Amino acid sequence: MESRSRILLLVLLSVNLTGCAALKWPWWGDKSADGELVAAEQIEEEENTAAPPRVIDPEVERREIKRPKIDTENFEIGGYYGVLSVEDFGTKPAYGVKASYHVTEDFFFSADVGRTTLGLTSFELLNPGADPLNLGNERRLTYYSLTFGYNFLPGEVFIGRNLAMNSAFYVMGGVGSVKFANDQKFSLNFGAGYRVVPVDWLTVHIDVQDRVFESDVFGTNKLTNNLEARIGITAFF
Amino acid sequence: MRAPNRRLAPAFVRLLWPMLLFFAAPSIALAAEERLQLFVAEPYLELRTGPGRGYPVTQVVTRDESVDVLFRRTDYIKVRTERGVEGWASVRDLMKTLLADGSRFTIDLGDRTGFQTHRWELGAFVGDFDGANLVSGYGAYSINDNLKFELSGSQYLGDQRSGWMVDAGLTHVFAPEWRFSPFVSIGGGLFRVDKDAQRPNLVDRTDQSAYIGAGARFYLTRRFFLRGEYKERVIFTSRNDNEELREWKVGLAFFF
Repeated sequence: MESRSRILLLVLLSVNLTGCAALKWPWWGDKSADGELVAAEQIEEEENTAAPPRVIDPEVERREIKRPKIDTENFEIGGYYGVLSVEDFGTKPAYGVKASYHVTEDFFFSADVGRTTLGLTSFELLNPGADPLNLGNERRLTYYSLTFGYNFLPGEVFIGRNLAMNSAFYVMGGVGSVKFANDQKFSLNFGAGYRVVPVDWLTVHIDVQDRVFESDVFGTNKLTNNLEARIGITAFF
Repeated sequence: MRAPNRRLAPAFVRLLWPMLLFFAAPSIALAAEERLQLFVAEPYLELRTGPGRGYPVTQVVTRDESVDVLFRRTDYIKVRTERGVEGWASVRDLMKTLLADGSRFTIDLGDRTGFQTHRWELGAFVGDFDGANLVSGYGAYSINDNLKFELSGSQYLGDQRSGWMVDAGLTHVFAPEWRFSPFVSIGGGLFRVDKDAQRPNLVDRTDQSAYIGAGARFYLTRRFFLRGEYKERVIFTSRNDNEELREWKVGLAFFF
């Protein structure tokens, strides 16, 4: 009998003890609620292990910062007009177009294409109507050159009391070709020029160059020097 | 003989008009643009009268003041201060300024990094094309650091033969990060004969051609590099035999 009642008491005790956790004791306060939450989270976690984790979408609008692009103005394009003295053919007006790229503050590349007409040779002057070179109406001379330049004297020009314009004196040299009298010749050119910049996008320049090429128009090969002086206007973009 | 002279002047005038219109356009377009604002973080920023170290410093902008960027020419940028004064600041000085959000202002400089990674290249060459003098110019667009798409125009001027060539091709640079970097190229284009002493009565003067080549680039300084190359060219003539010609050239090029 004693053992039976002892077993009953032990069973009751164990039941009570295990139930303690489930009971809400007033002095425990919120702790029990936390316990519930933890338990609930554990359940939720168990459920979520099967499904992929939920990504929380932060509803923040991203501000797009647009940096204005910086305009680069290194190219220069324009035209020129001047005179070209073609050895043995006299001096005639020449005109053409020129484009440059300023690589650094010191150096630039430029390409130009120009044209002039051939004057009369001494023989043609002395014998009017004669055409010993058989040129007919083909008295046109076309040339182009690829030139490398160096601005070696940058400075300013002052006109009057209130006007100052940037300027530069430059030297240049290059290669190209000359086409005239039904033949094309390799040419070298070198010279110097002066550039004035009245407004930032516009330049006025004066170039003097020697175009050297071998000519065999008169039957023998000879090196000819052909001086060119010109004034041009170009715009930066 | 005066007639050709008179014709020259109107030709020039005709050339001038579109040019003037073209010149006026950029100044109008600039007016409405939004400008980048930079804040001086160093004690002061020097402003010069022109884009170059040879031009005098006439203005300074003090710390925490801002400048508006107008445009860039070579390694100088024209800026306008808060007081409306305009001047040229060097790009290297401006790289010490801050943007409105406090970050450092960065901009591409023509240096070794630029030699490795850039978008455009332009250059001029002289050389030898099968005994004739060669003058050549090229432009290249970088597809990536290694691969470039190139367009080139060349003129060969010899006693026997002269004419011109235009080509389009691809160039592969093996190690663009090296100062001396070799490359190979392949491409094709048109080959034109203007004068041929051996075949004075040549009928078909323009033919297609293809080339393979190899060469090297050597970085000099700033934006410049030397470039030398050799090309083996096949001309697909309309005659019975194709021509094989050799081309050597060296030149100066720059990137931007």
